[in-house]
Amino acid sequence: MTRTILITGAGGVGKTTVAAAMGVKVARSGLRTLVVTVDPARRLATALGVEELGNEPQPHADEPDLWAAMLDAKASWRAVAMRHADPEVAARLADNEFFRAASEHFPASQAYAAADQAATFVQAMAWDLVIVDTPPSGGGIDFFAAPAQMADLVGGRLLRWLTGGPIPGRRALYKFAARPVLRIADSVLGSDLLERVAEFLLDLRTTYDGVAQRGREIERVLSSASIFVVTTSDPAPIREAIKFYRDLPGLASSPTSVIFNRILPDEWAEAVAPPGTSPALEANLARWSAETLRQRDSREEFSSRYGAHIATIPWSPHPPTDLDGLAGLVEEASRLPWAEVGIS
Amino acid sequence: MLEKRLVLVSGKGGVGKSAVSAGLALLAQRRGLRVLAMEMGAPGGLSAHFGTGPLEFEPVELRPGLHAMQMVRSDALLEYLSIQMGMRGLNRFGPLARAFDALATTAPGIREIITIGKAIWEVREDRWDIVIADAPPTGQIGSYVRAPVTISELVPAGRIRVQAEVMREILHDPSLTEVIMVSLPEELPVTETEETLTWLAKEDLVPPPKVIANRVLDELTDPDTPPGPVGDAATLHRSLWADQQEWLERLSPVQNLPYLHGLFTPGEVAARVAEEFEGTA
Repeated sequence: MTRTILITGAGGVGKTTVAAAMGVKVARSGLRTLVVTVDPARRLATALGVEELGNEPQPHADEPDLWAAMLDAKASWRAVAMRHADPEVAARLADNEFFRAASEHFPASQAYAAADQAATFVQAMAWDLVIVDTPPSGGGIDFFAAPAQMADLVGGRLLRWLTGGPIPGRRALYKFAARPVLRIADSVLGSDLLERVAEFLLDLRTTYDGVAQRGREIERVLSSASIFVVTTSDPAPIREAIKFYRDLPGLASSPTSVIFNRILPDEWAEAVAPPGTSPALEANLARWSAETLRQRDSREEFSSRYGAHIATIPWSPHPPTDLDGLAGLVEEASRLPWAEVGIS
Repeated sequence: MLEKRLVLVSGKGGVGKSAVSAGLALLAQRRGLRVLAMEMGAPGGLSAHFGTGPLEFEPVELRPGLHAMQMVRSDALLEYLSIQMGMRGLNRFGPLARAFDALATTAPGIREIITIGKAIWEVREDRWDIVIADAPPTGQIGSYVRAPVTISELVPAGRIRVQAEVMREILHDPSLTEVIMVSLPEELPVTETEETLTWLAKEDLVPPPKVIANRVLDELTDPDTPPGPVGDAATLHRSLWADQQEWLERLSPVQNLPYLHGLFTPGEVAARVAEEFEGTA
């Protein structure tokens, strides 16, 4: 059985670093591990050996049990919808301007494609552990909400909004075009825009069964995964982390751990510069000590309010650039949830 | 930085866009300008930095001369249809509003033009000297400033197309519009800022943006590294500082905002940002 870990959190907090570092440790314990990432910083892409790679998982040259793959950040649900369209509809969709626009603009589209790719890796059953560094689009929650949102879109919610009632047949569209709503809209837009959109949505609807079924498969994979939220101690990422604790339970299982990254040593909180320290160094200690206190307060508040298991990773002056650096980072971490990852 | 009529503040999520927007608005207000601060994206960021509760579509006066509002797409659409198209008595939950919502989800440029159009509409009103928008993040700002062009491509004729043309001119006019990119001196925000700047330069939709770097560390001049926390804190600071210098060189910001160590409320952060702008502007 393949265990799945989803690493979520705001952009820029070190999700990829955490995913990669945990991956290295697990692979070195002898489990076949796949780290799936999106748009990693260059030093991490280099460390993982994914610089030149596409979307196919590849084993690391120096660490045979460590595999890595990049999600295609530009992919959308378009390909999924096309897979489920019959040839005639597929041909019409292929040249449809709204199909391209909807697949680029619908907020859940990229999140859906990412979840679809990640689920495919898990379903391949080729790894003991798949760690997914989820894309931060839409605050990351999109990743979990996307399958249902896509089924909703394809299933005709928009079409019902557009027609203001039941879904018409293709032949009924001309009557629908005479409705006052559309005449007003056309006077604003100066074209038959809404009618063209309705035609497109009718075509899209024929793919519903396939899209919805794939959506349920993706949801099954996501809901059996363990979710770790990564954050720094800054207010904006913490607000994101809180969203996962507040909003995820309706979509997937609750996060099991929150990992605070870039943590300063606790002893700095009360540290006092010894006599004779230069004013510049004393002031420097004072500001980092204030930062340490703030970090501690934000962790304590998170833990007391959400009852979260809290792990910490120290703020290293030298960010890891290779596998040993990544492994070193988790050695210095405290309370990382290893049991859920499958090692002790 | 406060000489234009419309200021769009963008940047990667989490870099301090809202703090910069609020700080600029506070500074403009202090200088006696009539200011409208507009939250274009998800609610919460801008209002927190003004130290107030949730904002609404209708602007509220937070202090003399400073109004703030939250962009709400359905309200902006109704306002547009009733004021500009002369359709009275529309209901925001009615069939027309829902049909437009469906359209906004499916057709390119519609949702963006409703949002950016509201900001531009307010610029053309004489109620404000300056409109400062906490704009969508770098990943989306392109589709907003391009919306008038997208609409012109999609809609061959009609009133909306004429208006799109007016919007395009206002966004492009360097005497009216300014774009500010907030970034951090770190790899991912810098790369994303560079990509956005390159795209904007190629499309030539808005005047060249100004870059503001946030959370910039001071140089630690004392080279000593004594044992214990004093030296450890110095080592961490120097290493972070050195890393930042590399990214700052790539960003060439017009303004650096300091890293604030310790606990500050969003309101305190915005006030501090306003002071920094005051000190250099």
